Amino acid sequence: MFKELNPLLHSELRLGIMSILISVEEADFLFIKEKTSASVGNISVQLEKLSTAGYIQVEKGFLGKRTRTVCKITPEGIAAFAEYVEAIKTYLGKET
Amino acid sequence: MIRNTQQKLESEQGRPLLIFGYITVIISVSVYVLLKTTNSYYSNLLWFTIPLLGGLFMFILRKRKTKYVKTFIDGIVNIVWSTIGVVTILLSFTSFFLSLNYLALMLLLLGIATTLTGLIVRFKPIIFCGIIGTLSCILPFVFNGYEKVLIFTVAIFIMMVIPGHILQYNGRKENV
Repeated sequence: MFKELNPLLHSELRLGIMSILISVEEADFLFIKEKTSASVGNISVQLEKLSTAGYIQVEKGFLGKRTRTVCKITPEGIAAFAEYVEAIKTYLGKET
Repeated sequence: MIRNTQQKLESEQGRPLLIFGYITVIISVSVYVLLKTTNSYYSNLLWFTIPLLGGLFMFILRKRKTKYVKTFIDGIVNIVWSTIGVVTILLSFTSFFLSLNYLALMLLLLGIATTLTGLIVRFKPIIFCGIIGTLSCILPFVFNGYEKVLIFTVAIFIMMVIPGHILQYNGRKENV
């Protein structure tokens, strides 16, 4: 039986951001931009959505005169990501 | 993604080894020259500048980074070096009260930290250099006089500077 996919994670860019953040302790906006090759505006919107859902924690600070946005996945985000992976397995016939 | 993280790690982890490695080499050569020329025990106070200069250069170079990512492995390596760093600093202060073979103790501690770093990042050249560094802790017992400072310099160069350059080179090559 197919499990329902989390609509918030079932988006290429949001899933990409989550997969980056789950593999590191924290990463800044520029690192995410480089890895996803997405536009600044698009990343900002998706980070906001993930942050509102409580999946990531966004901290805005300064590095010298520049602003720096550092993102970190939350325990809720890790759980949602794991649940998403389990759900997608049912579509691939790899349900355990 | 995991491979990218490893590439990042390789290029970033080389920097602290190079900074602290070169500073230690320069300071130990300076201590040797001062000891030889002045024959004064106070020349050893120069050792205390290593953590200060290392911390300063780490701060300056960290500020220049534009992109920032901290991996879990970064965190573990930081814990290892912070622990060893604190222990070496505290140990060095005991030199005012105790008479121990501090060069041997430093080589042992730094050798263990380098070996652990190599094991954590799974990078054989660092493991190898770390083991050489750890084993070299017997040398200050074998050599007498100020020459053991030079032996210490060579051991630091092998266990910190060489793996640091290898990591930097690999990091740059992979990121091209």
